[in-house]
Amino acid sequence: MNNLWILNMGFVALLIGTGIYCLLTMKNAVKLLIGLEIIAKGVTLALVASGYARNNILAAQSLAITVIVVDVAVIATALAIIININRHTKSLDVRKLTKLKG
Amino acid sequence: MHLFLMIGLVAFSILAVLTRDLLRSAICLAVASVFLALVFFRMNAVYAGVFEVSVVAGLITVLFITAIALTRGDQEVAENKHHMLVFPFFFLFLIVFDILVMRKLLGRIPAIAGSEAGTFGEVLWNQRTFDLVGQIGVIFAGVLAVLALFRQGENPRKGDTTLPGGQPQGGSSHE
Amino acid sequence: MIFLFIIIPLLLAGLMPLLGKISKRFLPDLLANATMLFLLVFSVLSAKPLIAHGGVIQQAFWFGAPLNIRLLLDGFSLFMLFTISLVSFAVTLYSINYMEHYGAKANYYALLLVMIAGMNGLVLTSDLFNIYLFLEVAAVASYALVAFGQGHDELEASFKYLMLSAVASAAILLSIAVIFGLTGGLSFGTVASGLKMLNIKYVVGFCSGLFLMGFGLKAAIVPFHSWLPDAHPSAPAPISAMLSGVLIKVSGVYAMMRIFLNVFGLTPALTTVLTVLGIASIFVGALAALGQNDIKRMLAYSSISQIGYVILGFGIGTPLGFIGGLFHLFNHALFKSLLFLNAGAVEQSTGTRSLDKMGGLAKRMPLTAATSAVGSLSIAGVPPLNGFWSKLLIIIALVQAKMVILAVLAVLGSVITLWYYLVLQHNAFFGKLNETWKSVREAPFWMSAATVLLALLCIVTGLVFPMVIHSWLQPAADVLSGGVAVALNFIGF
Repeated sequence: MNNLWILNMGFVALLIGTGIYCLLTMKNAVKLLIGLEIIAKGVTLALVASGYARNNILAAQSLAITVIVVDVAVIATALAIIININRHTKSLDVRKLTKLKG
Repeated sequence: MHLFLMIGLVAFSILAVLTRDLLRSAICLAVASVFLALVFFRMNAVYAGVFEVSVVAGLITVLFITAIALTRGDQEVAENKHHMLVFPFFFLFLIVFDILVMRKLLGRIPAIAGSEAGTFGEVLWNQRTFDLVGQIGVIFAGVLAVLALFRQGENPRKGDTTLPGGQPQGGSSHE
Repeated sequence: MIFLFIIIPLLLAGLMPLLGKISKRFLPDLLANATMLFLLVFSVLSAKPLIAHGGVIQQAFWFGAPLNIRLLLDGFSLFMLFTISLVSFAVTLYSINYMEHYGAKANYYALLLVMIAGMNGLVLTSDLFNIYLFLEVAAVASYALVAFGQGHDELEASFKYLMLSAVASAAILLSIAVIFGLTGGLSFGTVASGLKMLNIKYVVGFCSGLFLMGFGLKAAIVPFHSWLPDAHPSAPAPISAMLSGVLIKVSGVYAMMRIFLNVFGLTPALTTVLTVLGIASIFVGALAALGQNDIKRMLAYSSISQIGYVILGFGIGTPLGFIGGLFHLFNHALFKSLLFLNAGAVEQSTGTRSLDKMGGLAKRMPLTAATSAVGSLSIAGVPPLNGFWSKLLIIIALVQAKMVILAVLAVLGSVITLWYYLVLQHNAFFGKLNETWKSVREAPFWMSAATVLLALLCIVTGLVFPMVIHSWLQPAADVLSGGVAVALNFIGF
């Protein structure tokens, strides 16, 4: 059981790594959100796999459902912001978002 | 079988990142979601699997496609040309690193096994009631955020959705 | 009935869109302010006596029927609840006038109330997953509030904020998933006892790293601070006050300290990391603030610097350090929201945020100038205002813990703070009146009322600080210095 958990966590790490690569290198705002979504998938998988390995699958499921609901809210807000930005700049390129310098 | 599903999940995620076309990217993401849902089914997490299919593969994909349709017609974003070259190296490095770490950890991590009985509904209602309050809160936040961002005069977003959304289907120059 | 702290703002937020249809301004204004006043009074009069003998776990009721919701109220969470209610009351008061020209007031109040409900939930929960969940409730509302003006800057700042904050949430959740996989539980007590039993240092180290990154991003500690100087100035002034005043402290500092001190237990390595990051934040924030011309950006960088003091105080790990950190957290909530509200008043009257173009505004806006002077002197640590005492406590704690070099650096940071706040005061309010601002008028009534309230609180807190420490800070510091034992006490519930 324990080794299966570690194997699953290995796949979680791959998913999150892919998502981080996307966030770091892509320039399209929607693509960045897709990267975020992949990271979220990895984390949901981590939660359910943890529950499965520890015989807590019912609790893990309810956690996973909550995470999915949170995800929908975040993605909807982000897409609303992107559509609004698109009205201003007529582009999805995040390199054009340089008016503010953090 | 488990391994096959996992590899499918990762592969479609990678495709979603590397594909140029946003629409295909969103669809790859949906397929990855379906794979994840199958993994959940195999882990006896039926409710989570159903949710994953209906909400992530369904609703979020629809949201993505709507947003892509709304923002199309503008010029394509020029991505870095070298992703096809850079990513395999990155990913290979990731896999090697991953395997090394996991081999070290195999069989070395102690853990406490839980035990639970009852049905899904009982657990949700008896242990995680507070989550429901949080879910209501997050849904409120999301709905209000969308309302606030699309407020323009008195007709919020219905007006805009149809206008630019109709045209780009014909002009999807990428095909 | 501490459940009311979460459910009242949430219910009202649900009703707000309907109320907005009935009356555009009056009802939303009235109800939002009444709610915040109620929560403020409630936290002092009703919740305070509950914890006279240490923390309690209270079960929530819904119309008489018991729910399976157990809320943890102890000195630390009550202290945070009080801070949240106080700042939000000042902010809603200020919004009555300020939010007029943005439109959609009901929607604005609804989002603000959801954010407050999220923060209250975070503070009252005793479960790791709920910390993540309520963090997200507050965060989603704050993304929309930063972008509320719908201008280009607002949207850009909000997008960057959302991206970084979502990554931070993912890091936090991943760490929670690993802990769930190890201990099979999520409540503070189960996790603390499980980790104690398993005794696996490297995995706890890994999770601590993820938490440090996640909560550090939310709190804008130095390597993770880049989003704050964009997001906080772009938001409408009351929201800047809310974000800088309480959100970064609740979702960053509170959550981090609750987990590190009460669940994981403070280790020497963690002390080192926290103090170093604290000092780094103090200097990076202060030096960046020196070079700013935009008044709100200067305040935003100053927030990074002051959060550094809070983290430094907590990081020392001694009871006096905790008191100093908590006191500075409270004081910063007061004077930073005061300064942001004043900056908003100046921006509304003159239409600019650039310090170069201002000058001599004290003649036209005497109240704003006076309250701003109180806030500036207080944040710079001039006795006998409140900021002086909290910084003094932190420095004494550093000396007691034999970290003299850090103490000297903290004093130095305070000097830089004094410097740039003098620059701000001088350029904006004193000197010769710029001809352009001949016809500028003082801020409207409710805006001035909010700033005067906060300025008076700054002065009073400074004068009666022994009492504040005794009745509010000591119980909170006791919880923190109790360490893991506090969480283990609640395991049976």
